[in-house]
Amino acid sequence: MNDAVLQAIRTRRVARALTDAPVGHEQLRTVLDSARYAPHAGNRRLHRYVVVTRPSLLRAVRMVSPGMLQRPMAAIVICVDWAQVHNYGFAPANPGPYIDVGTAAATLLLAAHSIGLGAGPVTSFSRTALATILNLPAGVRPELIICLGHAATEQPPAMRRRGGSSWDDLIQWERG
Amino acid sequence: MAAESAGESGRVLDEGDGVELLAYLVTAARTQVDEAAEYAPMRLLTAAGRLAEMAEPAASASLRPLLREIRQGVSETAVQAGDPAGYVDRLDALCRTVAEYLMRSLGLDTSP
Repeated sequence: MNDAVLQAIRTRRVARALTDAPVGHEQLRTVLDSARYAPHAGNRRLHRYVVVTRPSLLRAVRMVSPGMLQRPMAAIVICVDWAQVHNYGFAPANPGPYIDVGTAAATLLLAAHSIGLGAGPVTSFSRTALATILNLPAGVRPELIICLGHAATEQPPAMRRRGGSSWDDLIQWERG
Repeated sequence: MAAESAGESGRVLDEGDGVELLAYLVTAARTQVDEAAEYAPMRLLTAAGRLAEMAEPAASASLRPLLREIRQGVSETAVQAGDPAGYVDRLDALCRTVAEYLMRSLGLDTSP
């Protein structure tokens, strides 16, 4: 049995510290291209992907992103085109576009891991400030940033919570 | 600061660093509106850690140990969930470190 995919899923970690080694253009294209294959409901193409590699722009992105602990060498910003969402007929409260941000993010993170890059998602940033910095069209809102680089040997400790539920506690088999 | 020798204390941030910290604080205020309350102290500590990191290269010899202690004492991923008492203890230890530095630097540790 080829368990390479499972192995990749189990060994991927969020990289919260990155070195200053550059990310190659081909590596970036490979990671970016993976999002095409992420499961998106209805394949509606309601998302936009903004790639940032310029150091000064990356610095500005980090300045308005309090959740960005790492200093990425590249970043992919997953955006939702809310005008298209509206045109498609989604009700404003429909969570579909956000769910698809998640599937794209998971796929990008795994793709980065598969080619030896370190990656981490960031959701704590000012949407308004980031949209301004990236000069996004009206209606296109940034929802998640994937930071890319090479994972540093030393990482900040992971967020660990004592007590609470075990993994099995979170699972229901059949009817409750 | 009273205990600093002339020429030792002075500007420790350049304008770029100041702007970076300013942007962090303003946007953290906004993101915190939507985030769990336990993130608030974490964001403040991250700001303190970044300030310490920015200031350290130009800081006076007497200030540098404090900045290092703050950087070491700040975990950017630490939250209080699961161990609220331990978390508060660690924050109190950092506050004590800052207070002790203030006492020394202001010359208050020798006055009655």
